[in-house]
Amino acid sequence: MKHILLITFSLFALTAVAQKQPAKTDDPGGLKAIGSPVNPKVPMRWNHYNDYGMITKFCQDLAKAYPDLVKLESMGKSYQGRDIWVLTITDTKTGNPARKPGFYIDGNIHSNEIQGSEVAMYTAWYLAESFADEPYIRELLKDRVFYITPTINPDAREDFVKNPNNSNSPRSGMMPLDDDGDGQVDEDKYDDLDKDGNIVQMRRKSPLGRWNVDPSDPTRMVPAKPDEPGTYELLGYEGEDNDGDGLVNEDVVGQYDPNRDWGWGWQPDYIQRGALYYPGTLPETQAVKKFVMSHPNIAGAQSYHNYGGMFLRGPGSEEDVPYYTPGDIAVYDVIGKVGEKMIPGYRYLTIYKDLYTVYGGEIDWFSLGRGVFTFSTELMTSYKLFNQKSDENRFQNDEFNQFDKYLLLKDAYVPWKAYNHPQFGDIEIGGPKKNYIRNHPGFMLEEDAHRNMAFTLFHADNMPMLVVQNIETKALANGLTEITATVQNQRVIPTHSSHDVKYRIERPDRISLKGATALAGMLVDNDDLGITREQKNNPSTIDVPNIPGMGYVKVRWLVKGKPGKVTVDVDSQKGGIASKTMD
Amino acid sequence: MKHLFCTAFFISLWSPLVQAQSAPTPPGYQDHAQLSARLKTLASRSGNAATVESIGKSLSGKDIWLLTLGRGKATAKPALLLVAGIDGSHLAGTEMAVELAEKLLSSTSDSIRRVLDTKTIYVLPLVSPDAQAQAFAKLRFERTGNARDTDDDRDGRLNEDPFDDLNRDGQITQVRIEDPTGQYVPSKDDARVLVKADPAKGETGRYLVLSEGVDADKDGQFNEDGEGGVAPDKNFTFDYPFFTPGSGEMPVSEPENRALLDFLAKSPNVYAVLTFGPYNNLSEAPKFDRSKTAKRIITGLLEKDATVGEQVSKLYNAQTSLKDAPAQPATKGNFAQTAYYHHGRFSFSTPGWWAPKAVSAPPARRDSSNTSTKPGLAVKGGDDNEDVRFLKWADANGLTNVYVNWTPVDHPDFPGRKAEVGGLVPFARQNPPVRFLADNVQKHVQFMTALAGRMPQIEIVNVRSESLGSNLHRITAQVVNRGLLPTGSDMGDRVRWVPKMKVELKLADKQSVVSGRRIMLRGPMAAGETMDVTFLVSGSGRVTLEAGNAMTGINQQEINLK
Repeated sequence: MKHILLITFSLFALTAVAQKQPAKTDDPGGLKAIGSPVNPKVPMRWNHYNDYGMITKFCQDLAKAYPDLVKLESMGKSYQGRDIWVLTITDTKTGNPARKPGFYIDGNIHSNEIQGSEVAMYTAWYLAESFADEPYIRELLKDRVFYITPTINPDAREDFVKNPNNSNSPRSGMMPLDDDGDGQVDEDKYDDLDKDGNIVQMRRKSPLGRWNVDPSDPTRMVPAKPDEPGTYELLGYEGEDNDGDGLVNEDVVGQYDPNRDWGWGWQPDYIQRGALYYPGTLPETQAVKKFVMSHPNIAGAQSYHNYGGMFLRGPGSEEDVPYYTPGDIAVYDVIGKVGEKMIPGYRYLTIYKDLYTVYGGEIDWFSLGRGVFTFSTELMTSYKLFNQKSDENRFQNDEFNQFDKYLLLKDAYVPWKAYNHPQFGDIEIGGPKKNYIRNHPGFMLEEDAHRNMAFTLFHADNMPMLVVQNIETKALANGLTEITATVQNQRVIPTHSSHDVKYRIERPDRISLKGATALAGMLVDNDDLGITREQKNNPSTIDVPNIPGMGYVKVRWLVKGKPGKVTVDVDSQKGGIASKTMD
Repeated sequence: MKHLFCTAFFISLWSPLVQAQSAPTPPGYQDHAQLSARLKTLASRSGNAATVESIGKSLSGKDIWLLTLGRGKATAKPALLLVAGIDGSHLAGTEMAVELAEKLLSSTSDSIRRVLDTKTIYVLPLVSPDAQAQAFAKLRFERTGNARDTDDDRDGRLNEDPFDDLNRDGQITQVRIEDPTGQYVPSKDDARVLVKADPAKGETGRYLVLSEGVDADKDGQFNEDGEGGVAPDKNFTFDYPFFTPGSGEMPVSEPENRALLDFLAKSPNVYAVLTFGPYNNLSEAPKFDRSKTAKRIITGLLEKDATVGEQVSKLYNAQTSLKDAPAQPATKGNFAQTAYYHHGRFSFSTPGWWAPKAVSAPPARRDSSNTSTKPGLAVKGGDDNEDVRFLKWADANGLTNVYVNWTPVDHPDFPGRKAEVGGLVPFARQNPPVRFLADNVQKHVQFMTALAGRMPQIEIVNVRSESLGSNLHRITAQVVNRGLLPTGSDMGDRVRWVPKMKVELKLADKQSVVSGRRIMLRGPMAAGETMDVTFLVSGSGRVTLEAGNAMTGINQQEINLK
């Protein structure tokens, strides 16, 4: 009973708060669906994919609609000269945005993995559109700042959206490279033989083939059983031998991997396929790097990929295992395990162990190069199709075909059709459209965007939150006074990962005494047993290597006489600032 | 006008004083401005044999000059790249690189003329001009970092504990303090040099040895965060030393590094790299170590490349007849190793100059010695210590400005204690007065010329064309590497950006290859290695067979199909 009463009361209180906010527009009519912004100022549909122009317009509209919350800037230009947009979202009326713990989000580093942009945009949209109505979001934006970059590979995203491609192309950016070592660049790309905007499969009817049509689904090819004849040869993706070298599609757009271009554990192409000349060869990587280096308040980060339904943490390679300490892993575990609950079918995994080896990946640079707790999420999983775990991997089961048949009403596949190929003769072309398999079908996009946003907001909420818990004074002999301040971190993420502490990536936190002259200053290791360590230089500002998650540090000063009003200031790059004054 | 007057006044008033306070930089070396003028003059007087251009700017905006030597189209010829001054305190490397270029251009020898006709020699004499400027600054110290602000001790405070010129002589040497906790004693071979006391020899320490300066931030460390910058030769990708002073926040974070690697990426014709710098892999080649090549991340020379290293090392020792080179291992994140491991080029490095060992004792004494010690070894005492060896050489050559005698100073961190400033003058040990370099330059000209003469040479030989009737022709030929070195490193075969060996049959209209691959790409060909090629061509008229790549040059043979 008491419980119900409390809820009623708090509901009432929230309503009161909400009513104080200026109404966004006219009465929207109808009824707000719980958890969704009602009557948004920037109307959006979340069941389709945006091209670069639409992303740009969305960013501009959001900044225009919410000038006190959203700032739009370009963090640099892509290889082909497109602006890489970043939205800075925080309550600019409260506190200095640059001193709030920052959460960085990007998407689409792999250009075919497009829905990361929509999830990032949804997050920006949700934060801005909910600020007026939702106290939780208001609190979050009062204390934290979000840096949201919908796409860090805008050139190749545009290529994926606008030009003929398959679901795997291009993973690269658009910088032309000679893939086959013949001295020419990008001279044998895919060819959209039937001009339908999709690069699908080629097959040829042949008694020599080892493939058959799935009897229960004409869109699907299955390998012939070992003891039975096949009827088709598979000839790869749609294309011709454009340069007459006897190879088809051997030098396509790119090819390199923007996610092997980062400055931690970088290795060359012969060890790590996709690497370029050196970490940061790409202007896009350079732009993100510059942005992050100039925002030392970034304490958490999220990068969106597809596919597989995975919250991934580092290390990307076994060589880096020693740099992930049990303490840091425990932090990842807290967030990752909550994530598994938030998004059914998504699993919390470690890249090198559960996926494959990555050298020079983005999130290792964030985690080990900058000490930022970072997840990379592989969006979309076949689990979502029928809410069940499939027995086999996505190439060996027919769930996508079944899903197309029953839920997508046969929108997802290009039916096989005849084509006369200059090298292969009479063939057929068909297969999944480029926006199927890896990217969400429309009706699932908004839901997964919301769930993933909720995961990042949980992560962001757990960035350090510092408070000066109390300031105690104690008179000592000889007219000295001892002042002891306790600074608490009320969230899970420490101000410095233990890797950061070890290599001193970010400067120590500083706890300063104002209003009294410190004769001596010290770090209190154990208050009860009186164990302290003196800091000889500059005693009024104590350098603290770390303020642990859900933990605290104590510092102590010895001052002459009885101090009057004193203030203790906390200044942490990743943890933000805090202050308390004692009379 | 007023400004000019003021400046003139200022100079006249202060310059004698400044001069009085400063000891000179090792004589003869040039700063970036002088060097720029010298390179431009060199190029303008070379006829068509040299050009100078900038491949980028240092962090402070100084041009990184590229000198391109050779006649004809530079990018169309196989090239050697000579790099110096990546370690900005190695003034001698820069000077030697420029003198080497001057010598090549002014030479009348046939072999050098042939090199300039058939090869391109790229010279980057000063990759780290920001650091090098410290040798000409008001306060001189051996700086390797560029102009970037770096928080070397990563405490959030910038340059709060720099060197201090305690004896006001314009240079940073050392401080020694007599102290029972000290671990240093004067060397028995040369009391000017302090060495670590060796308890095994019954020695106990006497001095604390520090850099010249005070502990400005009272953290117990001396001069751990002064103006430092990022050292380009610690900022490359191979074996990158993350989060160490001077290495930067991440590999290739600096414009100097990008400029150099971008140049390499744009220059597939660079066959091998020679660096003048502290690392020495030329007087003695690194040995092949299978355990270092068997792992995923390769940290040792591949077997075939190690053989080439030995071959080139022999060539180096024979051509230069330089002896007793210091064994200076590769430092982490340096260019020479990155050029091999990550960019697939043969890469050689030498300090170019080092203090020769003192003249051996008279033979008579050795002859009378009845020990089994090898001749010479018994009397070379102290030569193992580079400082002792250098001072011995400096004394023998009458050099005076190489050492500061220990003189007492008041040191605020050691009140009432005996503190003295002194020791080797910065830059002195690696950078002798320029006049001492000429001989070594000549020796390296000989080495470079010999190396260029051994580079791979692709020829197409024993070409035959047979008619099989009905306009069908069989072409057979042999492609052979007539050079004395392989067409590329084995590592280069793995690196995506290094060109493959390519054989291509170029056809005209109405000709087609009916058997054989028209374009063949393959790994490096060893010295003397032959490759047989055969094609069946339908059609008649002229076809062209091409073999080679940017690193070897491309050889062509025209074949007439009748």
